[in-house]
Amino acid sequence: MTFYQEKLSHLKNICFSNDMQIEAVINTRKYIDNNYEKELNLEFLSSIRFTSKYHLLRLFKRYYGITPRQYLIDKRIEMAKKTLRNGLNVTETCFAVGFESLGSFSSLFKTKTGKSPREYQKQQLSRSNLTV
Amino acid sequence: MKVSLISIPIRDQAKALKFYTEKLGFIIKKDLPLGEGTRWLTLVSPEWQDGPELLLEPGPNHFEPCKIYQDALMEAGMPYTQFDVKSVDEEYDRLTKLGVEFSVKPSTMGTWKFAVFNDTCGNNIEIVETL
Repeated sequence: MTFYQEKLSHLKNICFSNDMQIEAVINTRKYIDNNYEKELNLEFLSSIRFTSKYHLLRLFKRYYGITPRQYLIDKRIEMAKKTLRNGLNVTETCFAVGFESLGSFSSLFKTKTGKSPREYQKQQLSRSNLTV
Repeated sequence: MKVSLISIPIRDQAKALKFYTEKLGFIIKKDLPLGEGTRWLTLVSPEWQDGPELLLEPGPNHFEPCKIYQDALMEAGMPYTQFDVKSVDEEYDRLTKLGVEFSVKPSTMGTWKFAVFNDTCGNNIEIVETL
């Protein structure tokens, strides 16, 4: 075993040995990936796992470093970028990815990416790709 | 201030360019001569062309402490850096078919899946997938 593998093995034992918890948060993340355009429903998720929603929230943060809500927002912004690149307009994109207000979508998008949705789309659609 | 570039120490720029483009699939972003046979050579991911650039830096050839550090990491099996992939298993299959050697086969820890390969230019590189 290399030094690196020894270190990883040690880390796994002290931080990542609870397989049931890890499985619960992985499934929570997958659920969010598949349902990002809907409202976040931790009650539903925690009921499947027979745990409280607060516990699930804490576990998610523990293993992913961010809360489910933060992850959901990042996922929606990522999908919004994709949607804008495909040519859908800003308003349609906003509602398609699950935001409820154009104003909050635009300002959140700008905060996260440095550009407004309109600026981002304009830049992406006019850019020519590098070739190999 | 923005983080827009990471640098990877490599022993041979031409060899590194070949490996990182032909095997790993990166594409050239910037290439300009810096004299004495070296170039400022950066690559980007084809999926994220306005994303961070990867600088192929021949540091170990010009600065002894860089060489020592690189050798020490290699010896310990430590990756110099890591790249995100959609599927570690798929990349592992694809890269082993291309003759790339892995010191750590696909493994899981917490919410990460990862593997480590040799870039033939002095570094172990880790690929990571979020589970």
